[in-house]
Amino acid sequence: MEETLRGVRFFEFLTEEEREEFAEGSEPVSFGPGENIIDEGADQESLFVLVSGMVEVRKGLSGGRSRLLAEIDASRGRTVVGERGLLGESGASATVMAVDEVEAIRIPRATFRRMVAEGRPAAFKLSYRIARTLARRLTRLDEEVVEAIRELENRGETDMEAFRDRLITDWSV
Amino acid sequence: MRQTPDLSDVPFFEHLDEDERAEFEELSEPVRFEAGQRIFEEGAPEERLYVITSGTVEVYKSVLPGRRQRLATIEAPTVVGEMGLLTEPRAAASVEAMTMVEAHGVGRDRLLEMLDADSPAACKLVYEIGRTLAERMAATNETVAEVISRLENTAGRSEDIDVFRDQLIQDWGF
Repeated sequence: MEETLRGVRFFEFLTEEEREEFAEGSEPVSFGPGENIIDEGADQESLFVLVSGMVEVRKGLSGGRSRLLAEIDASRGRTVVGERGLLGESGASATVMAVDEVEAIRIPRATFRRMVAEGRPAAFKLSYRIARTLARRLTRLDEEVVEAIRELENRGETDMEAFRDRLITDWSV
Repeated sequence: MRQTPDLSDVPFFEHLDEDERAEFEELSEPVRFEAGQRIFEEGAPEERLYVITSGTVEVYKSVLPGRRQRLATIEAPTVVGEMGLLTEPRAAASVEAMTMVEAHGVGRDRLLEMLDADSPAACKLVYEIGRTLAERMAATNETVAEVISRLENTAGRSEDIDVFRDQLIQDWGF
């Protein structure tokens, strides 16, 4: 299992021993095509390291519509989804669905919180990492919301479609 | 002079033990802002983290040219300057003391050094900050969903943009 976490860019800041601590509290999971890994609105309490397969990320919009936010191919570098759930308690902001057979490693919030309670440096390093990721995304999203407000104010003068696509691209899961 | 209120009353510090709180207090310096005084100015450097132990601050941003929009009113205990710590040391919004404000200020560089050295005090503080950011992120995601919906719904139509804009600002995930 440590072998699997080693190649993950998200975990490269941990020492070998620290990766092992996470590996002990994590479990391998697999999902079939069409199966949801994360359900929008539901309590989302695990971080998933995608090891293989393809997932799509969708966000429900008003009026029962949904929009594709991202497609992630795990074979092109392992990716992490659901990291916000380790720190926060709010429901998932988007649905992550397996497109084909997906293999992943699940790190449950309970494992992470136990490590925090025990004062384990590995857990704090991971939370520092997640906090920085969240802070960067928030800063970018806040700026874009400001831009949206400005654009709406001067509507008609800009390419709305391109603007909308940019908002979507920078979405956080 | 009245003693600056203790850090143990600040939720961000509740998981720090006495030694860790003492470590943080040693690094920080008590600072006081008068009502109306600017703590951070939008676009200017944000090189300190302030743990506000008493008073109320307001957060402003220039959303539209020539207009200053109030984003939030925050009462002590709270932390400001955390975004500058975790991203670029440039203030995305202005923070102003609304009443007399008492705080502990600590330099961003010093805190980053502590984090690099895996100082438990700094790590625990950032863990608590991270928890608040996770909740803010959830709120911001919903704001963005709203923006997208509205952009799609109003494309080519003349709608009540002012109402929407005010709503958006009100719902800001700050």
